[in-house]
Amino acid sequence: MAEDNLNPSESLQLIESMINRAKNRFSEDGHLYLFWGWMVLLCCIVQFVLIHFFQYRYFYIVWMLTWFAGFYSVFYARRQKKKRKVKNYADEIISYVWMVFLVMALLLSYVIGALSGPGPYYTYIHPIMLTLYGMPVFLSGVILRFNALKIGGIGCWVLAAISPLVAFEYQSLLAAAAMIIAWIRPGYLLREKYKLQESSQ
Amino acid sequence: MFKELDPILHSQLRLAVMSLLISVKEAEFTFIKEKTNATAGNLSVQIQKLKEAGYVEVVKEFKDNYPNTTCKITEVGINAFEEYVKALQQYLNVNHK
Repeated sequence: MAEDNLNPSESLQLIESMINRAKNRFSEDGHLYLFWGWMVLLCCIVQFVLIHFFQYRYFYIVWMLTWFAGFYSVFYARRQKKKRKVKNYADEIISYVWMVFLVMALLLSYVIGALSGPGPYYTYIHPIMLTLYGMPVFLSGVILRFNALKIGGIGCWVLAAISPLVAFEYQSLLAAAAMIIAWIRPGYLLREKYKLQESSQ
Repeated sequence: MFKELDPILHSQLRLAVMSLLISVKEAEFTFIKEKTNATAGNLSVQIQKLKEAGYVEVVKEFKDNYPNTTCKITEVGINAFEEYVKALQQYLNVNHK
């Protein structure tokens, strides 16, 4: 870039073009959406099979897998942070949105458990989680201006409204459906968009 | 009366750097170099000038055993950039009348 005298309109054009170059960078490749989407989908289906076909009492052990997934996500996010050449405000806001979701999910699981006493409180988990899932998914869609995520978030809320009306064992199938519309479908679309951006650079 | 255009910002490369930094939280030197198509030497000199004016904050650290420079716009830089854009608009409005 040459050092020369700019006139006011050239200055404004330069400002606009540089802001667009920074703004149009899309840093979400959908990896964690796909990873969590497939992971939770698998857990939901295994839970359904264990309850429906085997009447297995300890069906919830399948959710232990999510702990390993949590460790992997932290490891992956740290590695990505190291690789990243630029930090956007959007990325930061999205990470806070997911952090809020995680805190609320853990806190609500505990609070509902404590309030409902020793009964089968786990029957409340799917409706509550579906209600909560909608929030980070919808907000990520707004921040990234990505309609598939907005639709996914709304889908979670619709499924959350239906979930108290169905038997517990079938609620896990609703959660599986939520994974497809809120994480897996947007995850593949995000990956496609990211690959397109990388190949055009 | 026209506002005087800030001479620190009224330079193609420095203005490009500031326009990039105003849209992100922080950016590495390599990212700015890639987006502005400037040479490393020229870019270093211009970033140093912006740093001396207090418009950007420069952090030098090691990343995977390699030196890494990160730049971030400061409050002073944001105010100067806004004033510069206002002054430009004033010039353009007068020319259009």
